[in-house]
Amino acid sequence: MTFALLVQSAIIGTSLGSIYILMALGLTLMFGMMHIINFAHGAVYMLGAFVIYYVFFQGGAPYFAAFVVAMIVLGIFGYLVERSIYRPIRGGIEPTLVALIALTTFLQAAGYPVFGQLDKHVPPVFPGTRNILGVGISIERLMIIPIAAALVVALYLFINRTRLGAAMRAIEQDKEAAALQGVNVNVVNGLAFAIGFALAAASGALMAPIFKLDPMMGEQPLLKAFIIIILGGLGSIPGAILGGLMLGLIDSIVATALGAEPAFLLSFVFIILLLLFRPTGLFGYAP
Amino acid sequence: MRRRAGALGVLSVLIVLALLVPRFGGDYYVHIFALVFTNVILAASLRPSLTCGQLNIGHSAFMSIGAYASALLAKNLAVPFELSLLGGAVLATLVGVVIGYPSLRLRGVYFAMVTVAFVEVIRLIAQLWVSLTRGMSGLSGIPKPNLLGMTLTTKAGQYYLGLALMLIVLLILWKLEHSRLGLIWKSIGMADNLAQSLGVDIARHKLLAFMLGCFFAGIAGAFYAHFIRFLFPPEFGFLMATNILVYNYVGGRGHFAGAIVGAIFLSLLSEPFRGSPYETIFFSIAMLLTILFLPGGLITLPEKLAGLRRWRAAAAPTPSPAA
Repeated sequence: MTFALLVQSAIIGTSLGSIYILMALGLTLMFGMMHIINFAHGAVYMLGAFVIYYVFFQGGAPYFAAFVVAMIVLGIFGYLVERSIYRPIRGGIEPTLVALIALTTFLQAAGYPVFGQLDKHVPPVFPGTRNILGVGISIERLMIIPIAAALVVALYLFINRTRLGAAMRAIEQDKEAAALQGVNVNVVNGLAFAIGFALAAASGALMAPIFKLDPMMGEQPLLKAFIIIILGGLGSIPGAILGGLMLGLIDSIVATALGAEPAFLLSFVFIILLLLFRPTGLFGYAP
Repeated sequence: MRRRAGALGVLSVLIVLALLVPRFGGDYYVHIFALVFTNVILAASLRPSLTCGQLNIGHSAFMSIGAYASALLAKNLAVPFELSLLGGAVLATLVGVVIGYPSLRLRGVYFAMVTVAFVEVIRLIAQLWVSLTRGMSGLSGIPKPNLLGMTLTTKAGQYYLGLALMLIVLLILWKLEHSRLGLIWKSIGMADNLAQSLGVDIARHKLLAFMLGCFFAGIAGAFYAHFIRFLFPPEFGFLMATNILVYNYVGGRGHFAGAIVGAIFLSLLSEPFRGSPYETIFFSIAMLLTILFLPGGLITLPEKLAGLRRWRAAAAPTPSPAA
């Protein structure tokens, strides 16, 4: 592997990692508060990409407007899912997981009659390439990094500097105590659903101009996000960020050297080995 | 006692009906019902793990291992069906131990996520190992099943084989669930730290439950391979794995019959949509509705209806106690 190729796959890996981080952050946030894994995350990613297809490409709206629409619409959807699925089941973790799996398969399967059988493509939003250290990198992929970073910083500030963020942290520490202190647990959980869904929609919206769109497109990023949060430790935000970057780099560098499928197999083997020695992940703590 | 007699009566009527299908139904029904039997084995074999509180969303992977192993043994080495079936099941169990041992240290959600990734791994291996599995071209030319040297050439013969396999597997699983072992599984599922404090080796029992599931999923896969005689990696993906889970939840988790009822009910009801996206749409809606409105599954339906009737008759202002 030449130096140029290494630089290129490192940058592409970072941009891929940024997408994974956005996916994993929502998952880990929701897990920390409610101890559930949102299996529908991949389907929401897919819906985010399709919002870009219809609003930006078909509707002719500016890309960033479509991006915001995707986040808002799917954020509201997330709130509704909390209201209609999570809340009625009332904390039963297993039934909630199964219900979320059902929601996922429903959204994916319904995607075929609604969006059509053929793969969709979104034209590039930032065409052209840029020369970095003598290597041409597509601006499309490069742009993902600052946008994702801005979202991560915004989430960080929200969680650490606002009252609602404090409420979220309180629920994460102790749901009953938070409720006793006057935190409206239902509303704040709904907010966590909304944020998680909006972040997944954002990653789908960022990837829409790069990959082809089909109803199953969320499966791979979902699996990656699973691996990341296991790697980083469930509920850990720094873990999700570090894990996301690591997996993005593994994916890009190993995939360039050996192919995409071996890269996936390798990350899985890595996870199994990690679990043998550290069952709670890199930053995790025993639940 | 009366309930038990009633259940036995229902069971014998069902078995007689199942025996009569090839006589009165055409090849179409024979085919459908043989697949229903596979689904019943798969659904029931997930129960031990689920009872232990392990949400296994990767069961199709073990079916796939059993199917490929048995098919390749029979096709390439001319191993008789009895042995290739066993070989497939044993290989599925071994792989299950390798994967299960580290992941069973994980509780609930972690475990569920690893099993999802595991489906993908097995699917990718089946897809990439072209020299062995023919990859995405699919594995064809799998010999028909044979018993004691006699090849079962007719669909009806294979149907009876499937029925017999299903009944044997169900009997074994039922016996296990109602033994001391089943009680231990239940205790782990309800409160694993309590069970541990009472001296139950929870890791070992979880692994045992998981291995049993892998073994019988391997059996189901092997029968499937010799019955359909064509294997295609994506068939054993996430969707099939979730279907196995759906059977259990829609049927009801509280009783052994739940998995069976769920598998039969959903397999037959979704038959008209098979292969189209509407099958999955139908499945997921059935699943969501059951979880939200009938948390105990279909098997609690008669009880709920009876409770409702009693409540109406009494015209009491309070809701039924059965709810």
